[in-house]
Order: sequence, then structure tokens, then C-alpha cells
Amino acid sequence: MKNILLVFLSVLLLGCISSCEMELLTRVDYTDYEFSDLDEDGGTWSTTLISTPGSIVVAAPTDVTSAAYVSELAALKIAASRLNSEQIETIEYWTNNPILRWNEIALELAAKYNLIPAPNPDGTYTLPSSTDPGRYPNFPFAHPAYTCRMLAYLSVAQFDGLIVAWHYKYAYNRANPQQVDNTVPSAYGVSNLPSYPSDGAVIAITSQNILSAMFPLEKGYLADKAAEHLFSLKWAGLNVDSDINAGSLIGTEIAKLALARASTDGMSKAQTPKPVSDSIKAAAFDRFGWQWDNQETPVRPVGLTPLFGKVKTWNLPDVTLTRPPVPPAPGSAEFEVAAKELQDIQDNMTTEQRRIANWWSDGLGSYTPPGHWNKFAKDFIIKYQINPLRAARTFAYMNMAIMDAGISCWDAKYYYHYPRPIQTIPGFKTILGTPNFPSYTSGHSTFSAAAAEVLAYIFPAEAAICRNWALEAAESRIYGGIHYRFDSEVGIDQGIAVAQYTLQKAQADGAD
Amino acid sequence: MKHVIIYTISTLLMCAAPAWMYAQTPTDAIMMNKGDICFGLIYDHGEWDQYWQGKQLLKNGNVGTLTRTTVLPMFAYGIIDNVNLLIGVPYVKTKSDGGQLTGDDGMQDLSIALKVELMEKQLWKGKLYLLPVAEFSTPVSNYLSDYQPYSLGLHTDHLSLRGILQYKLDMGLYLRGSIAHLWRTETKIERDYYYNNGSYYTEWMDVPNAWNYQATAGIWLFNDALKIEGNYTWLRSTSGDDIRAWNPGQPTNKVEVNEVGGSIQYRIPQLPGLGIYAHYSTIVEGRNMGKFTNIGGGLTYQFKLF
Repeated sequence: MKNILLVFLSVLLLGCISSCEMELLTRVDYTDYEFSDLDEDGGTWSTTLISTPGSIVVAAPTDVTSAAYVSELAALKIAASRLNSEQIETIEYWTNNPILRWNEIALELAAKYNLIPAPNPDGTYTLPSSTDPGRYPNFPFAHPAYTCRMLAYLSVAQFDGLIVAWHYKYAYNRANPQQVDNTVPSAYGVSNLPSYPSDGAVIAITSQNILSAMFPLEKGYLADKAAEHLFSLKWAGLNVDSDINAGSLIGTEIAKLALARASTDGMSKAQTPKPVSDSIKAAAFDRFGWQWDNQETPVRPVGLTPLFGKVKTWNLPDVTLTRPPVPPAPGSAEFEVAAKELQDIQDNMTTEQRRIANWWSDGLGSYTPPGHWNKFAKDFIIKYQINPLRAARTFAYMNMAIMDAGISCWDAKYYYHYPRPIQTIPGFKTILGTPNFPSYTSGHSTFSAAAAEVLAYIFPAEAAICRNWALEAAESRIYGGIHYRFDSEVGIDQGIAVAQYTLQKAQADGAD
Repeated sequence: MKHVIIYTISTLLMCAAPAWMYAQTPTDAIMMNKGDICFGLIYDHGEWDQYWQGKQLLKNGNVGTLTRTTVLPMFAYGIIDNVNLLIGVPYVKTKSDGGQLTGDDGMQDLSIALKVELMEKQLWKGKLYLLPVAEFSTPVSNYLSDYQPYSLGLHTDHLSLRGILQYKLDMGLYLRGSIAHLWRTETKIERDYYYNNGSYYTEWMDVPNAWNYQATAGIWLFNDALKIEGNYTWLRSTSGDDIRAWNPGQPTNKVEVNEVGGSIQYRIPQLPGLGIYAHYSTIVEGRNMGKFTNIGGGLTYQFKLF
């Protein structure tokens, strides 16, 4: 009996050990780091939303010997010297490259709002409404088209805002607090970056304003985040109040310009009423003799954003420039090869194919494929210790290319209106859910190829790995059973073609 | 006490929209003597056409009716008179008649349980029994837990400790209660970001621990050849999130189950050692769970090794 009790107790012990929770990361794991370069000439780089940095007027700062500055610095010294543990945690959270945190916040909101509207009890569907965002289904539905646009506006505004900040930093050359008084604590080490205007404040206010417009139900949460971020700039000994006020001014102005563009870019018309959607479908049927139909129960009467292909692009002059050739007709020999491949894969799914399909699925409830590429960009920015300005540049060009790729892809999707495999292959079942829009070309492939091209340009040492990821993302949709091989392969070509327009702009912006 | 041991399948907790786990829980108070061996094969058919998203009961035309078939080979052995070993490993198959997502099938988790009769005490016109049970289970195939509602299980290591208290009258009527705590390790998924009331940057999902309670009333009839019992079972996750609107469930969900069920077990007097078994159960209240109804049965064969 003693032995039995011993066994019993050891089983219990084993259980207690195995139930010890492993730590599950809830944010990107990085700390502040020393920047590889400060890009002193950053104020001369090309902007996107404003013509010249000087068009946002930032007054000259008071001299560091002035009474006003001396009193600000004294207050800063007190704030940065008496930190409680919560303030220290806040400083460690925001780091000296807070653009990564704001990108992470944007991705989390995308995942939170990427929920497809449920049917009503009578089988109809109600769409989210920007004028009544709190009514179910909440606004927005942060699907890939919505999310890529959100990230593009966020990143472009951050980048332009930081170019303006750099312009004035090096125009006015206000010494930073530690250079004025070396007894002022600095949480992130001593930097030579001029402190006026505060780049952190530009990032905080720009991000708060853009994301509040994109996620109106999160205004309160975002205001708290921005306020905490601004406080952390002082707790970290980075900026006095006048630095922060000047940075906030830039953030406010640049966000207005970005949101003015967003309000007229055509997105509000992208989700069409049913008659418009039907006429788009009929036009494709007349042209090609096929049409995509939603296969859900109850049927969704309109696909996702049929007119996203008409939304204003960033660098692609005209979507028809990258419109792909006509896909093989359903029933053609070429089509049958592709359909048979899908059936074979679903019938003999390997562990590796399943893993790849799921790894890249980035479906409903996730941060979407554009979000996935933003995560990769963050990892590279940390790996290469990029400063906030160059980090913003990475996000801006990548997200412009991704959004242009999405617009080009959606143009093809609704121009060709090609049916999905579950529509054309009788009895076909898949391991991934089929999205509510036409098949040709694959959004994952187009988004990913465009993102990979920009990352390959910015991080040449990572070019091969980025391009391989894009190819794997494209392949994953075939394994998932939701795209034909030609959707994916043509999507890759299309994404690469779209990215060239953004790369041309990047290569000429003065940063290389 | 040479009765056949049966895994009471009415407490196999087979969830759904958040189709999650299959906890074969040795919850009865029956013991085998030293050297006794029992083999069993049990079949179960579970299905639902409604599920709870949080606490809201829904139908989803893209799932339709989900069915979950289980075949459970099991083995029990009397190590000594007071200590029994129970081992089982089920094969599970899931599919649905709506939508276009494919089902899954395969071997699920190997479960090993040790049941100890700590006390058997004469009390008034019957006997009081106290039995602790420790059970450990671990996946035996690479099925994906993050594939709701079709996943075969939670794909975690799982430990439960159960206390069973039974009072049985000499005339055959009995009442039984049991309480168990279930510990689960994290489950590995095939993506490195997911949302669980906030972002998670990891390939691991926390699977909530849970409490499980069961109340049973039953009777032995015809010289202990026939056993009939009814039970009510509760499962309560101790943490977890709700399924989000019109979204698939995931292993992190907070699952709650209230289930009523019953079973019949018959030892054929003419065929010594052979037993037949049937069960039925239905979930009456739930959270992040398919509204399962289960029906099944099986055969057991018991003999003495030495």
C-alpha cells in the first residue's frame, strides 16, 4: 500500500510540474537599443503627404540658457529621477523606437476587429457602419483590404512626420537634456539626436490620430496609450515639454493631411450595394463566361469590397498597368490540371503542407497577411538596430507597396470574377475557410510578393529569405485548397510588378 | 466485487464548436481484484447542430450538423485488490454536412488511470466507498487542436485527480458523487500569432484547467447482472476567453458544460466474463461548446490472469 501511495504522489508531483505555465509572449520581445545610424540628413528625404517639411511651421525653440528652458529641464530632471516601478516598466515598454509599439498596437486592433459579420436570424446580413460604429457588426471589419490601407496611412503619416521632425531637429540643433546637463538621467543611453521637436511625440500623436480614425471605438484606449507614451518621454529623460509640444504639433498636422487623403481615396465606396455588385459580376460573365458566387450559408449577397480595386493608389500610376492576363477557363485542360492538383493535395495532405497552410493562413480574427509582413519588418528593424526615422521609412514603403498590391489584386479579382475551387470542384472540402471574394489572383501572393520586394531592397542580406517566404505564402493557399496554382503564381508576378513603382520612389528619396 | 470496469462514456466530454476534449474519465466506483483483466471496445456517436458562442446558442449553416465518432479500445487490470490500472486510446473521426471545411480523423490521446480503493466501510444498510483516481493522458498523433470545431482534441498533456465517494445499499441502489480537477499543459499550434483578449506572439496556446463534477444515482438488479444509472455532469474551465462573433473557437476558450446522461450495463449470465454496455447523454447548458448528444455502446470481456 505504501508503494501505491508513492506512485500516486509521484503522479501528482509530475502533474504539478507539467502544469507550470510557460510564459506566453503578448508583445514583440525587444528592448531599447543603440541606433546603427542617426540619418542626420533625414530632413531632406522625399515626403509623400506634404510637399516640403517646411510646410508645417515649427517655431524655433528657446535657447537652452533661457529661463523657460532651465525651468523645463529642472522639471524633467525631477520627473526622470524619481521613477516608481510602474514608470520604469512604461519606459521599458515604449523603448527608444516606439514606432514598433504603435505598429504592434495597430496589428492588435486589426486582429480584434477582423471579424466577419454574422447573418441575421432572417438570413440577411447587416454591414458595419462608420457612422454608427458601435452597432453590431462593429465598425470596422478589419479584413485584409481594410488593414493594408490602415497600415499604409499609419506608416506614411509616421514617416512624413518624422522627416519633418528631422528637418527641424537639424535646422535648430537643440542639444538634448543630457548634453545640456549630464546629471539628467537617460533611460536609453546618451544620444546625439537633437531633441527639438520630439520624435517620440510625433509618433505618439500621429499614431493616435490615424488609429482613432481607423478604429473609432478605440479612441479612449488610444488616447490613454498616447498619453502614457508622452509621459514616458519625460520619465526616460528624452524630452522637455517644449520638445514634446513641438512634436505633437507635427503629429497633429500630418495626421490631418493623411486623413484628408483617406477621406477621398474611394474606400468609402469600396463595399458596394448589391445592384452594383451584380452588375460587376454580370460584366465578367459577359466577358469571360464565368462568375464567382459566394458559397456560404446563408449566401452573402455582396463580396468583400468589390470596388477596392478603384481605391487611390500610392505609387502605382494606374491599376490596369499590373492587371494580369486572362486565367485558364474553368473546364479547360490547363484548369483541370490545377483542379486535380488541389484534389490530390486535400486527399494526401502531408504534415508539412498542413503546417504551411496554417502558418500563413492569417485569416479571420488574425492581423491578416499585411499584418504578418509588418511583423517581419519589425523583427528586421530590431535585428539591424534601425532608428525610428528609417524604421518609419521601412514601414511606409512596404505598406504603400502592400496596399497598391491589394488594390491591383482586387482589380483583377473583380475584373475576372473567377470562381473559387469549392465552386468549381464538386464536393471539394478544404482545411482553410474560403474567403468572400473571387479567386484570381491570390491576395496572399500579391501582398506577400510586394512586401518581400520592399524588404529585400531595405535589408539586402534578407532578400532571399523574404522572397522565399512570399513563395511559401503563395503556395500555402494551394495547400489550403482555396486557390489554384495559377492564382498564386500570377499573384506573385503581380505583387513584384506593383512593388517596382514603390521601389522607384524609395530609391530616389535621398535615403540611400 | 468482480464487476466489469467500464469507462463511463457519458462523461467523455466531447466539445465542439470549440470541439475540444475527450476525457475518458474513470468515474465509477467499481474495482477489479488482483490479477483480473478486462478488455473493452466502445463506440460513441456524438452530434450537434447548435453551439454556444460564449453563452449564446447559435446555428451555423457553414457547419450544419457536426458528427464526431469515437471508437475506444480499453484495457483494465487489477494490480492488487485495491488498485486498478485503466488504459485507453480512442480513434476519433469528425465531419459535418454543411460548409466546405474538411473533417479530421485519427488516434487521439493515450490515457492511463490509476484507481485506488482507499476505503470500503459498512454503514447502516450499505457500504461507503472512497476512491481517488489519478489519470494522465498524452496525444499519440499530430492532430491539430487549433482546428475548431473539427479538431480531435486539445492536444495537450493532461492530468486529472478525482475523488469519488459512493454509498451503496445492500439492496443494490447507490448514490455517487465525484470531483476532479483537470490540469492541461499548453497546446502547440501552427501559427505564431493569435488573439486571446489581446495579442499572443507564440506558437503555444494556454488551455484552461477545469473542474469536473458528477452526481450519479443507479441500481444493480438481477443478482448484480444489470446496472442502470443516471448522471449529471458539470465541467467548468477555470479561465479562458469566449468564442468571438461568428469566429471559430480555439483551445483557449472557457468551456462550460452541464450534461445529463444515463447508461445500462449487463453481464450475460450464460457467458461468463462478457458484458454489454450502452449510454446516452445530452448537453443541456454550455458555453463555447457544441450542444452535443451522444449515444453509444460496447462490449467488455473480463477474465482472471492468475
